[in-house]
Amino acid sequence: MNAFLVAATVLIAALAPLLVAASVRRPIDGLVALETAGAVTVLALVCLSVGLGQSILFTVAVIAAVASWIGGLVLARFFGRWT
Amino acid sequence: MNGWDLGVDVLLALGVAGELLCVAGVLVMRTTYDRLHYAAAATSVPGFLVLAAVLVRAHFSAGGLDAIAAVALLFLLNPALVIATARAARRIEEPEAEL
Repeated sequence: MNAFLVAATVLIAALAPLLVAASVRRPIDGLVALETAGAVTVLALVCLSVGLGQSILFTVAVIAAVASWIGGLVLARFFGRWT
Repeated sequence: MNGWDLGVDVLLALGVAGELLCVAGVLVMRTTYDRLHYAAAATSVPGFLVLAAVLVRAHFSAGGLDAIAAVALLFLLNPALVIATARAARRIEEPEAEL
């Protein structure tokens, strides 16, 4: 197990408290936790890609970065208008 | 372990520690705006430290360029998301406020 896999494991473990916070807190605070989880996920995918030697995961990281941004933006607009 | 490996380990450790600090901030802080501050920080310095570690290991290969794209997207797009979230939070907490 190399350093990148250890880093990816730690980052994935850090997602758990964020997802708990996202599910139990107010919606707007949950959104903040979700945005942080998106950033952590992207970095975990980058580390996994190097650690496993699978270059396809780099592309997944790029897509995850864009998708989490779009999702967060849509939710922020939604919460701003309808809550 | 040569100097490059040690550099990769140090950069990764710093990046992951920074990311964990931001996660802790999001979990511990009391107000939405304080949490947003830490959420925004999660896409800046820790991301670049991890990217530096990746570039030391993968150099500027196709994978390295994809890693640059992923971290750059996080860094460049996230401020718009933080602003939108802060505006939504303000609208929720102060419905009469002009935005």
